[in-house]
Amino acid sequence: MADRYSFSLTTFSPSGKLVQIEYALNAVNQGVTSLGIKATNGIVLATEKKSSSPLIDSQSSSKVSLITPNIGMVYSGMGPDYRILVDKARKVSHTGYKRIYNEYPPTRILVQDVARVMQEATQSGGVRPYGVSLLIAGWDDGIEPEAEAKDVDEPEAEKKLASGKTGGILKGGPSLYQVDPSGSYFPWKATAIGKSATSAKTFLEKRYTEGLELEDAIHIALLTLKETIEGEMNGETVEIGIVGPPEDRLLGYEGVEGAVGPRFRKLSPQEVEDYLTNL
Amino acid sequence: MASVFTAPPLADNGPGYSFKQTPTTHISADGTRQHSFYPYTDNGGSTLGISGADFTILAGDTRSTSGYNINSRYVPKLFKIGGEGPEHTGSSIVLSVVGFAADGDALKERLDTVVKMYKYQHGKNMSVAACAQRLSHILYNKRFFPYYVHAILGGLDEEGKGALYSYDPVGSYEREQCRAAGAAASLIMPFLDNQVNYKNQYIPASGYGHDLQPRKAELLPRNTVEELVRDAFDSAVERHIEVGDGLQMMIITKDGIEEVYSPLKKD
Amino acid sequence: MVGKDCVAIACDLRLGLQALTVSNNFPKIFSYGDVYLGLTGLATDVSTVADLFRYKVNMYRLREERQISPQTMANLVSSSLYERRFGPYFVSPVIAGINHTTGKPFICGFDSIGCIDFAKDFIVSGTASDQLFGTCEGLWEPDLGPEDLFETVSQALLNAVDRDALSGWGAHVYIIEKDKVTKRLLKGRQD
Repeated sequence: MADRYSFSLTTFSPSGKLVQIEYALNAVNQGVTSLGIKATNGIVLATEKKSSSPLIDSQSSSKVSLITPNIGMVYSGMGPDYRILVDKARKVSHTGYKRIYNEYPPTRILVQDVARVMQEATQSGGVRPYGVSLLIAGWDDGIEPEAEAKDVDEPEAEKKLASGKTGGILKGGPSLYQVDPSGSYFPWKATAIGKSATSAKTFLEKRYTEGLELEDAIHIALLTLKETIEGEMNGETVEIGIVGPPEDRLLGYEGVEGAVGPRFRKLSPQEVEDYLTNL
Repeated sequence: MASVFTAPPLADNGPGYSFKQTPTTHISADGTRQHSFYPYTDNGGSTLGISGADFTILAGDTRSTSGYNINSRYVPKLFKIGGEGPEHTGSSIVLSVVGFAADGDALKERLDTVVKMYKYQHGKNMSVAACAQRLSHILYNKRFFPYYVHAILGGLDEEGKGALYSYDPVGSYEREQCRAAGAAASLIMPFLDNQVNYKNQYIPASGYGHDLQPRKAELLPRNTVEELVRDAFDSAVERHIEVGDGLQMMIITKDGIEEVYSPLKKD
Repeated sequence: MVGKDCVAIACDLRLGLQALTVSNNFPKIFSYGDVYLGLTGLATDVSTVADLFRYKVNMYRLREERQISPQTMANLVSSSLYERRFGPYFVSPVIAGINHTTGKPFICGFDSIGCIDFAKDFIVSGTASDQLFGTCEGLWEPDLGPEDLFETVSQALLNAVDRDALSGWGAHVYIIEKDKVTKRLLKGRQD
């Protein structure tokens, strides 16, 4: 019988828990800490890049990945599982969206697609859940016209409301999601996952303020990472991805009218070093 | 001869383009050979005629095509009929032909000869009405190997009013206010219905629902007609590949025939 | 047809089998929120495709919690038709609408396998397309206001279908503005 049927490894325990998912979360909680902070004009994703040996060529491995030009992703947990999810996320963003609508999926749609992939692994036969939690950061153009600059003599209360985009499909702007092995996902202003998630989140709660700018967010991200990091902090051991203004220089070509560069990019080790020295 | 009258094998030749209409030989299974030759080519282009109170305007583009090729950018489709000498002096009838240019030329020569012979024999110019009926006969005489043309004949009638006659390839004809023919006829004709005969136009506030009064057609002044002709051809050039290069216009008035050439887009 | 801050889309009402008129009240324009889709061709495919896009657009709206934009709809129509590349729906669709992000009018047309024709002025489709090309090219001008656009699109359609034996029996005309859509039913020749 056992070779004729393969039951899902994730079978409810009598108490109503799916222990395989709990175990997957344990794997995540042993993983290297990653964090994300949403600012008014962008998002930062940051993680520590641990190498078990000084001989490892750290430049050739990467934990922060581009999914679509405006969406990036980072993880805590099992690296191999993550790379499968990156592949699937990139693929589904095309098969499930770009090839149909000729535009890239909004962040929430991509998050849902990735979450579906992860959920299916909790209900299918012969598979185990993914041992990763993800932070997915993206920028959406939104369908409402960009808000015009408000007049100076407007009441203070209204000014606050208009300050920056808060994300979401109607308004557009940045959004940051966490996806867990169960397939559940949460929108965050700032969060952390992995080994020191709890302490990092406590730190972020203290540091986070509304109306944060991207540069501030990068600064806070590094400060948070500094609290939790085990080894040395430098351009090689810290990996940062940002969602910011469109970078037309990254298109690889110029002179095409209407072409907009990607918003997501990884910071080079040199850029990270620069931020670290200003810490 | 029978093969001449069979329709062009559409499946092989597409929409009647000439470049595959070379003489063909079909060898069937039992070894019999069937030779065929399709004697017609569509040379494209469009013509148009509008008559007014005391004038008639005929117009045609000057492009000649076969298939997707342009043979020439200046092959007139408008001919003065019954005039003397190379300048067709004294002519007051214009024939426009569109379709198969060789047939058009042959038809023009026949009609020109007939009108001239009429003058020599009767000592007076042929009326347009007579010429129109004669043209119908010429076409019908070749009922079973027709001139592959859509002809329009223009002139002034016995009262001096603009006269316009349009024909099918086998001689059915009708006097009309306006007519477009040729490749872009389907584009131009509904535009003319609207702008010359005011079709689908109603007098505002002249009634409610079915009581609304249609706008009555009137005879248009010459400059309005000339503008309409240009607009019609500019439109046709834009959307039909067989129309373009140049616009030849002939305006028949009591003072004779005025010929105007103006360029059209050459793309 | 595109105007100044407005677009128009219109259709005749005839449904026929070759020369036999089956129905004289068969509208060919379907609305999907802010986007309007005109479908000519095989009637069964017109209904099927209209319903297919009803389903697809409804799913889009539920999933994304927003209306589909005309441009996105155009790409959806294109990819859906190309999916049937070797067994196409016999329809040639036309899309009209105003993009609410940019506020700009948008129109486009397709062949039966989804090749998009982005036009700045007008799109025609159906048995009277030759005639429509002629009338539209002759009557259209840039930056028409809603009322002038209505007159232009109506005259273009009515006069074109009157020269096509397979079209006619009245018309539906939609004038789409940023915050208003006006639908008018035109009585045309009944022959």
